[in-house]
Amino acid sequence: MHHVVLERWSRGDSPLHRRDPRAKTAALLIFLVLIATSRAHLPALGAAYLLMLLAGVVWARLPLAAALARSSVVLPFSLVFAAISWMAGDAARAGALLTKSYFSALAVLLVISTTPLPQLLRGLEGLGVPRFLLMVAQFLYRYLFVISEEAQHMRAASLARGASVRGMAAHGARFRSAAGALAVLFARSYARAGSIHQAMLARGFEGRFHLLSAGRFRWQDGIFLVAAGGLPAAMRFAVERAVR
Amino acid sequence: MHIPDGFLATPVWATLDAAAAPAVIYVARRAQRGLEESQAPLLGVMGAFVFAAQMINFPVGVGTSGHLVGGALLCYTLGPAAATVVMTAILAIQALVFQDGGILALGPNIVNMALLGVLAAWLPYHLWGHGRRRRLAIFLGGACSVLVSAVLALSELLISGVRMPGSLLGISLALFAVSAALEGAITVAVIAALEAVNPNFVRPSENGGSRILAAVAAAAVFLAVAGVMFASTHPDGIWRLAQNIGLASHARALLHTPLASYEADFLESPWLRKALGGLTGLALIFGACLLFGRLAARHRSA
Repeated sequence: MHHVVLERWSRGDSPLHRRDPRAKTAALLIFLVLIATSRAHLPALGAAYLLMLLAGVVWARLPLAAALARSSVVLPFSLVFAAISWMAGDAARAGALLTKSYFSALAVLLVISTTPLPQLLRGLEGLGVPRFLLMVAQFLYRYLFVISEEAQHMRAASLARGASVRGMAAHGARFRSAAGALAVLFARSYARAGSIHQAMLARGFEGRFHLLSAGRFRWQDGIFLVAAGGLPAAMRFAVERAVR
Repeated sequence: MHIPDGFLATPVWATLDAAAAPAVIYVARRAQRGLEESQAPLLGVMGAFVFAAQMINFPVGVGTSGHLVGGALLCYTLGPAAATVVMTAILAIQALVFQDGGILALGPNIVNMALLGVLAAWLPYHLWGHGRRRRLAIFLGGACSVLVSAVLALSELLISGVRMPGSLLGISLALFAVSAALEGAITVAVIAALEAVNPNFVRPSENGGSRILAAVAAAAVFLAVAGVMFASTHPDGIWRLAQNIGLASHARALLHTPLASYEADFLESPWLRKALGGLTGLALIFGACLLFGRLAARHRSA
């Protein structure tokens, strides 16, 4: 499964991995807003931002080609709309859609592949996101792999019973059998949630997760935030000045 | 349809982020309060279930298949508030881990799918969820949730200035209608199968509530969606509407003091008119939602 790659990347070691999640999240938001609001001189600014992102990937010791390929998952969606805009005679917008969406995805990937998700969510809690929502997201991520595997087993079982053989069963019957499989998966997930909660209570869960390494916002994080937020802003200012 | 970053105009994503944040906080508090503390594991695991459900294919026609989207199913099993929280968590994980949908566009995506999508699923079930028309209500709920989300996402893109020829717009609306019907059919089939496994999984729709209230809310959602759709294709129309109501003159008066000499140019720029038209539509939606949420809360506690 491809998200296992992300797990491995985010547990690496580099100066970027060691930064506080809050600093990284804030810098990411600044960067995304700068990309989203820029409307003039996109080619020059885009080149500058691409260099910054690539430098970030190299600095975080991530495999460059794999990172670039992973963030290109936005491209199919963007390409469709870029093609539509281009056909409607708006070539500038087509280019903007492609570059903006790709650079944003690369920036998000850079943060998520240098920060393990539990730490990132803890950082978001520090920034004011409701803890209940973050806990739900964390459980979702944790059991995503478990429940997905269960679904794959069920799919393999149904294929073994001839679900893919055309003409063996009527259309409606196959539809109902898929619905039945989902209902069984639902019931199993529901039961699993109950036993997870009991196991957690038995281990003394009191409503919040504890991290092994408590994060502290240090001066290096402050410097990082100022640099990673200020540099793109200064770059945009400089480019808009120079081209005008 | 998950909107990535870089597609929406700044006023659109900023407004919807600002609207989604308090709404999600409110709904999260409600979901947490309404049920026992075992909720967090349950909602998380059910979110994982919705992810995994995409692996189970439903035959549609010749050689094609579709899968569950899940908003309506969650709404009928966990309740609307919990379903909204689960959908929000799903969208957040998709945006962060799978780069499916943007971070700045998370607010718009949450409004489309988690808030209004779940609301659109809940309404028909609430209105007709008991008695003979129950299956139809479930079908409509599933279909509406997908249709409302898709139409909202498309409208936001159009408001943001992504141009689309009329023929393509028609094709995409037709595709939305097909996937909406499929989601409705899947939701009906899964609910029927779930009731066979254990009837307690499906929440009964509250009987005997004030139907007028729900009808008004349904009309509000419909008007809001139609309004956004209208605003995106005729930004001038909604602008004129705003002018009639008096909102425009108010805005002009506000602008008049600090920006006396720029006022005329400023208001005549087509981009701003478009943005203002869009914003008015979104404000209408948000107002309708807030009002509806308040009413629904009062109705439930009564």
